[in-house]
Amino acid sequence: MVKAYTQEHIYKHPWERVTSASWRKFADPENKRTLSHVLEVDTLSHKLDPLSGKLYTTRALTVHAPGPWFVRKIIGQDICHCVESTVVDAQSKSMQLTTCNISLQKFIEVEEKIRYEPHPDNPTGWTVCRQQTSIRIKPLSALASMAEKVEQRCAEKFMQNSVKGREVMERICKYLEAESGGIAL
Amino acid sequence: MGMSKRGKQDSSTSPCAHLRTAYHNCFNRWYSEKFVKGQWDKEDCVSEWQKYRACLSEHLDNKHLSRFLEAQGIMDSVTQPDLRHPVSDNASGVSQ
Repeated sequence: MVKAYTQEHIYKHPWERVTSASWRKFADPENKRTLSHVLEVDTLSHKLDPLSGKLYTTRALTVHAPGPWFVRKIIGQDICHCVESTVVDAQSKSMQLTTCNISLQKFIEVEEKIRYEPHPDNPTGWTVCRQQTSIRIKPLSALASMAEKVEQRCAEKFMQNSVKGREVMERICKYLEAESGGIAL
Repeated sequence: MGMSKRGKQDSSTSPCAHLRTAYHNCFNRWYSEKFVKGQWDKEDCVSEWQKYRACLSEHLDNKHLSRFLEAQGIMDSVTQPDLRHPVSDNASGVSQ
């Protein structure tokens, strides 16, 4: 069982600002209340290729385990680790984030891909964000009967969180815009 | 895997919180003031990163995560994100 969802959103901010906001998305204390499912973010590795202008980063996200409470009871833990790997190409202006869970894989696999690129209609002013989430519930005997329902709940939760994520992104973009006095970033 | 009952203990990188904040603040500044403006020839925040990373390697007791910490030398694999294992794309039931 796999479900995949794609979403597209246009930020009326330049790529530089939107991707800056993306890095700050989980770190800002003010946003922690909105994105309360994310408990901690740690950078595990990063590498800069000074010739091509590519930046590779791996971060660990500690999040509340997905799904309704009875699933958390069954799986015996209430947090879940995800690994987010990001490639930013400063030259061609693209940022791609891939996030997937590394705990609870026995039960569920969630993969989220987000890509930020300059909007073709206004490459210096707008940014298009394409997001694809795929959720796969493992056909585990004990959970098989309710798996479909869980998958639905999970998907709903993810959609809600990505809306919240967008709100946070918009807020940080505005903040960065104000901070720079409307110039540069 | 997965069945760990240690709960919140797994996320205890909090001893590194200060160093993490220092590094992330430095990184955010470097990213928006230099990297995206074409100054990608060198990284800032090297000492912040080293301190933070040293702390992480001491406190990150989750095996799944420390694997990524150790993998720093072979970061090229990140270009083709394969964080767990390959997932087949030809699965059915893809909606929307």
